[in-house]
Parts: sequence; C-alpha cells; structure tokens
Amino acid sequence: MTEQSDEGLTIREVRLGATREEGGTREVSYVIGGERDLPFSGDGAGRPLVALEICDDPRFWPPVVRDYVGDLANDTAEWARAAERTYGADLVRLNFTSTKQRGFDAFDAIAATTEEVLAATARPLIVEGSNEPELDSEVFRRCGEAGEGERLLLGTAEADRYRSVAAAALAYGHAVIAQSPIDVNLAKQLNILLRETGVPQDRIVIDPYAGALGYGFEYSYSVMERIRLAALSGDADLAMPMICAPTDTLSVREVREAAPADQEAMAVAWEFYTAYAAIVAGASIVCVRHPLTVERLKAALEG
Amino acid sequence: MPTVTFLPGYRKATVPEGATLLDAARAAGLSMNVVCGGEGKCGKCQVYVKDGTVSFDREKYRRFFSDEEIARGACLACQATVAGDVQVEVPAGSLIEEQKILVEVPGMKEIPLNPTVRKYEVRLEPPSLEDTTPDLARLLEGVERQSGPPPNRVYAPLGVLCYLPQVLRRSGWHVTATVALVPGGYRLSSVDEGDTTGRLYGVAVDLGTTTIVAYLWSLVDGRILATASNYNRQISCGEDILSRVNFSRRSGLTRLQQLAAESINEALTTAADAAGIDREEIFEVMIAGNTVMTHLLLGIDPGYMIAEPYVPVVRRMLSTAAGRIGIAAHPNAGVYTFPAVSNFIGGDIIADILATGMAEREEATLMVDIGTNFEAVLGNSDWMLSCAGAAGPALEGGEVLFGMRANPGAIERVRIDPDTLAPSFSTINGVRPRGICGSGLIDLLAELFRACVIDRTGGINLELDHPRVRKGQYYPEFVVAWKEETSIGKDIVITENDIKNLIMSKAAIHAACMTLLDAAGLAPTDIGRVCFSGAFGNYLNKENAVTIGLIPETPPERVGNIGNGAITGANIALVDRRRRKELDGLARRITYIELNADPSFMDRYTSSCFLPHTDFALFPHVQQTLEACRARQGVRSWQA
Repeated sequence: MTEQSDEGLTIREVRLGATREEGGTREVSYVIGGERDLPFSGDGAGRPLVALEICDDPRFWPPVVRDYVGDLANDTAEWARAAERTYGADLVRLNFTSTKQRGFDAFDAIAATTEEVLAATARPLIVEGSNEPELDSEVFRRCGEAGEGERLLLGTAEADRYRSVAAAALAYGHAVIAQSPIDVNLAKQLNILLRETGVPQDRIVIDPYAGALGYGFEYSYSVMERIRLAALSGDADLAMPMICAPTDTLSVREVREAAPADQEAMAVAWEFYTAYAAIVAGASIVCVRHPLTVERLKAALEG
Repeated sequence: MPTVTFLPGYRKATVPEGATLLDAARAAGLSMNVVCGGEGKCGKCQVYVKDGTVSFDREKYRRFFSDEEIARGACLACQATVAGDVQVEVPAGSLIEEQKILVEVPGMKEIPLNPTVRKYEVRLEPPSLEDTTPDLARLLEGVERQSGPPPNRVYAPLGVLCYLPQVLRRSGWHVTATVALVPGGYRLSSVDEGDTTGRLYGVAVDLGTTTIVAYLWSLVDGRILATASNYNRQISCGEDILSRVNFSRRSGLTRLQQLAAESINEALTTAADAAGIDREEIFEVMIAGNTVMTHLLLGIDPGYMIAEPYVPVVRRMLSTAAGRIGIAAHPNAGVYTFPAVSNFIGGDIIADILATGMAEREEATLMVDIGTNFEAVLGNSDWMLSCAGAAGPALEGGEVLFGMRANPGAIERVRIDPDTLAPSFSTINGVRPRGICGSGLIDLLAELFRACVIDRTGGINLELDHPRVRKGQYYPEFVVAWKEETSIGKDIVITENDIKNLIMSKAAIHAACMTLLDAAGLAPTDIGRVCFSGAFGNYLNKENAVTIGLIPETPPERVGNIGNGAITGANIALVDRRRRKELDGLARRITYIELNADPSFMDRYTSSCFLPHTDFALFPHVQQTLEACRARQGVRSWQA
C-alpha cells in the first residue's frame, strides 16, 4: 500500500558513501533528500551536490571534454583524483564506457578500476555500470563487490532491466539510481518494482531522465516538479531525492557547430544552465562532464 | 348522464343513456378488442358488470360465454347499453392497448410485447348506391373500429392503393390490414385477403463489421422463431471499417450498400426458412450497427467520417421501407436503424445500453464493449458518458504469439500453482490446446502475476530457476503447455512481449473507464454494476479481470456479461416500441468524450500500464489479496 503518513511529506534521506566509522574508507559521507518544501523555498535541505562524470574508456566521451582534460582521460584513477582535488567536484560519477565496446568481457578490469578510483578519491562515488542486459549482471556484481561497504550510488536501474543493479545493491549495501523516461507514473512504477525486489526506499535515487536545455529538458523539468509535488503530498513511492544527468548537453548542435574558439565556452554554458535548471526543479545531485562547469555551478550555488 | 367506471384502473366516462359500453370505453381512452367492428359477432369485447345495470340480451349472445362468466355478469361491451351509473371490470384479454405479452428476450428480463406494426382483421360492408364511401376510407374506418388509428392519420402508399380494390372484392370484404406506426403518423403497409393476423413477423439484426446476427420474431405472440448468423459480405471489400470507407470513396458505395443488404438477406432467409415462414410477412426490421455500417446499409456516404473534422451525415434513428434498400422482407416493411452518438459510439452501442437496462436504473452502470476497438459507457437514468478507443488486438488473441480466437482448442481458463508453477488449464471443447484465447490470456496474466513469475510491468523474472521460465528466442517466455500436450507439436508459450501487449490493451480500457469516472466525479466504488458486452466477456474470469486492472476494482458479484448486446438491444427495440421511441433521446443525452482530446488520458494510460495499477489505492482489495498471496509464498516482499 502507498503510505500516506506524515513521514511521506518529507523526501527520504539517502546516505551516500561511508566513512571509516561507517564501515567504508570515505573521508565524508553525504546525506541527500530530507526536503519538506519545493526547491528554494522553506528551510530546504543541504546544498545540491555537483558530480563530475568521468569514464574508463574515453573513446565514448565528448571531444570537448577530452580536449580539456588531455592525458587524464587515459588514467581513470588520476582523472577521478583531479575531479575532486583540482576541479572541486563534490563527488565523481564513474562511467564504465568500456562496456560499450563489442564483445566486452574484461570484467576483472571493472573491479580493478572501481578499486583504483575509490583509492584515488575521498568522497562518495557514483558508478554507472553497463547498459547491456547481457553484461549487467556481471558488471554490477563486480563493481558492487569492489565497492562493498562504501555505499556507492549504482546506476542505472530501468523498468526492463533493474534486477541486476538491485541484486548488486542489496548484496553489497549500495544505493540505486532509478531512471525512467520523463514520466511521473513510470518513475513511481520503477520505485515500486525496486521496492518489491527488496531495495529499501532510502536507497533509491530517482533519475527522471533529462535532455539538454532546449532539447527536451522542459519536459524533464515539469516531470521533476510533478514528482516532487506528488511526494510532498504524501506519495511515499515518489519521495526520493533526484539525480539529474543531462548527458546530451555537450553534443547539442550549438556546441558542435560553435566556432572552435567558442566551443568550450558554449559547452560549459550549455551544461551549466541545464544543470542549474535541474537544481531549480529539485535535483539533489547534478552530473556534468566539463570540469569548468563544476566550478561555475559551485560558484553559483555557494555565491 | 350516467357515468361508467372501468376496473381495474377506475377510468371513468360519462355517456348519454343508451350508449354502448364500447362507446364509453373509447371515451375513457380504453381500446377494446373488437375484431368484428362492434357488430356482436366476435365475442372478444367481454366485460363483467360489477355494480349497476346495463341493458344486454344475454341469451342472444349466450354462445360467447361460459356458465361461470354468465354468473360473473359477463356481457359484450359493443352490445350492452348504459342505463345508469355502472361499474364494469375489463379483463385484460378484452383490451388491445393494455395487452401485455411479456417477452423473454435472451439476456434480458421480460419486456412487454408492444410492436409498432399491427394487423387488423376487418369485415366491411360492401359499398352500395346508398354508401359510396371510397375503398380506402371504408377500409380505414373498419380499422379504426378495431381501435386502429384514425383514418386521417394513416398514410396509404400508392403501391397499396393500386391493388386495394381487387383485394377487397376478391376477399368478399374480409381483409387484414397491416398498419405501422411511423414517425408522424401511420402507414398502411399491406392489405391481404382474409384473416392473416396470426402471421406477423419482425426481424432484429446485429449488423456487425464482421458478422450478421438475425433473430426472427412472431410479433403476434412474442416468440423467437429462428435465429441465423453469417459473415458480412462486405469483408470482400476490406476487413476493417476504415478500408470499407476507403472502398466506398473509390465510388464503391453502391456495391457496399448491396453487400450489406445481401448479408442481412442471407441471415433473414436462413431464419425464415428455418421457421417455415414467408419473408413477405416480415413487416419490421430493426437493425443495430455501428455508425459506418449504418451509413453503408442506407447508401449514405460515410467518407466524411474518416477525415477531419470527422462528421457523420446523420446520427438519429432512421427508417425506410425494406424495398428501398433491397431488404428481402415485405417491400413496405419498416426498416429501422439505431441512432448513434458519434462516429465511434454507434447504434450497436446504443443497443448495448438498451440491453444493460442502464438507462432505467438509478445506480451507475459501467458498460464495456471490448474488441480491437473498445467502447465504454458510464451512466444511469439521468446521465450518460461514453468514450471509445483502440485496445489493440491482444485481448482477442491478436499480436500474441499463440493467441487465437475463442475456437475449439483455445486455452480458455488457466490456473498456476504458485509453488510448482505447474499450470492447469481447460480448452474450448476440451480438445488438445493449440493456442490461447482472450479469457485464457487474462487468466495467465493474473496467475503469472500472483505466482511472481512476472513483475508489475509484465517483465518475466528470468532469475527463477524453473524449466517453464526460459529466455526464448526473442523474448523471455513462460511455457503454458509442453508440445506433447498440444495438438500443434510445439510448446505453447506466452512471451514477455505478449504480456506487454496485453497490459497495453488492458491499460487503454482501464484508462478510458477512469476518464469516464473522473468526468462523472465518481470513484470506482460508486459503480453499481459493470457489464461486459460481446463475446469477450463470456468466459472471462471476473476476479482475474480486476486483478490485472482491466476494469476499475469492483466486487465480482457486480460484474456481469450481457453477451451480444447489439442483438439483444435490437430484439428489445423490435418488440417494444416504447423503448424504441426513447432511443433518439437516449442517444442525444449521451455525452461523448474524445479521449485523444483529453490531456489527462495519456497520463491515466501510463499509470494503468502496471499490474494492477500504479496507484494501489485504486485497487485496495487486489493489493490486499496479493500481499497475502506473496506472504504465503515467502517471496521477499516490499515490507523488507
């Protein structure tokens, strides 16, 4: 049954990362959620977190980012370290883009990379596994196992492929990103599916799916609002914090076709405004790919 | 002047002394049965004098009465004259208007036989130099004396007038006139020699896109004499409505009109032959068809219905003579077509509504007619809302790998043991299975869901270690019957894709029901009755239909099936002119909700694409049952 308790009027708190006292190795852990109001009204919860996305195979990464980070792209652990220390990201989102290549079977590397990145960083970690039903089970098992005790945020569960992520999250104590295609009902359905698989509700973060600003983000924005309004009106199955990763932002036409000299500025601007809009819509975590965007977002949020 | 009181009902008339009781009865608005025209020859107008006296020569008419009737004060109304105040009891058999033969319409409670067409047997005085009343007037006066309509309201077609003089004279002025009530008056449909009052037939027709069903009735005693069904011959011009309309646009309207009439004639002939009657004695044809079929039958261009702004030519009830559209009944027989609400809510649905009796009840009824397209109507005696949409063919077995129509060999009921996942099923005719029909698919969906083989989106849990749950060639699947059990030498499976198609179909229907409920400001619990119309509902497990969320949650005892509502409605409208008369008004007060124009429909649809629904609060009982069921199975549940 849908709980309609007073508790439902608060967004559930989800704890990410584990310090030594909490059984992990992070220097800090974050609590997201806890809102009782719409964004920028009332007391609000903590400042939204800015995650910098990195990947283990830069062939599948936007050139505008590769150009900026240079050699770092070839050393995942160093890239992760720089994300926190140099670029000032609140946390890192590690994408296993290597699983996109045909015939992928380097499962050992998944575990190794996860461990290396954890060792190179001090803050909670988001891990984006494969996006291929054939690989999911093993990929999530490996990265989940490698991060046991660290309370990772594992992505991504979708309605037609959620069991592997859920199983890894349950087995190794991680939280799950639940992504549904820009629809309040589908978001709720996925949360119910996860709940019925046994994933506790305080370990689910909603990804409403977001396009780039001007390329469909408007829909995401209104769905995020609907999700939040439903949650605050007592729908426990939607009372989870939200994560937003408008990953198409760096490949919109305005960025691709910008004059070479303007391209970086255009990319950062586009990513910044999209991510900021997501925050206005209620996202607790926004994921971006250009390091300069992190800086700009943090300045805006802290300023 | 003396007052005559007629019992039962205490109708009164004041008449001059010496008037007959028949005169008094007419003045009181009663229609007595006077076949002989008030000559004291037929003995049909018996009444009993309860109080007061009349002047009546009992001995002269002794032959019409039994001793018992004499003892009760029986007399003939046409021959008894009033001498003072008198109270008279009129037995039901002596009245025409009040006669109520209750008719057993299949799938319907008893309704009164009250057709619009009647036969009047009349014996007329031949004309003479002293009485030169024209033949027609003479006939119609005779009809009026039989409590028929006043002559000036009866329209006599030229065709009848041309043979009238011969028939009257050949018969020795003893004929039977067939008079039909038509909009704005009466129509003299036929005049036949002698007494043919025992032979008056009517036909109710369900003019379906695929099949025609006809019921042949005796309108004299309200019996069904024969039924027949056959395919709609228009199928040769296209399977579905849209292709028929397109065919008609390519100047094929005449052809389609002919085919529709021929299809009806085929059914009509089969039924008439089976009953051993002459088609020429069929005087009434009541046809229920969807809006396009009705247009086509009447030769009206349906082309403007399929292009923006989608308007039909006509939606009211229409009537015409059988001869004008090639229906093989009496050429002057009245052919009536059901009115429509819109392009998508046609006469067949109005007939469904009639069959449910929902327009006469206070409680809200939800009527759902499920096919590839579905129609849903919600309402009661005060208001009614309707909508229509595409459900896809899944519920009829289409777009499902082993789906089939409800034919022999179709798995129609399924249970699955939640512990062993072993299915037990029954097939139509009990033969080895060769596929799964709609009711079986709904059972499967509900049972797989209860057994946790599928999740709420219909995804098959491949982590279950069971031989019946397997990856399949394209989609995960569940084996319902091993090939050794089947008659097709293949495992009969239901795939995840099938299940998702079924869920989309059920979601469209549920979302439509919710749209109607919301528009009416009602909750599912306010539904007094749910009626399924069409073959689909026949074998449906009501509880499973609710479990999967096909319809809003309703206790099973409130869910019923009216079978072929179109033919039932046509039968009712054929035999009961009162109900027929109300149809236009009924159709007019049904509000049509265009789902495509309703911005919340898509939202409702998405939330219905879940088992049973995204909002569990709409299915409290189902949810409770599921929890109990899952707890029993020890499945890791959501309380974790």
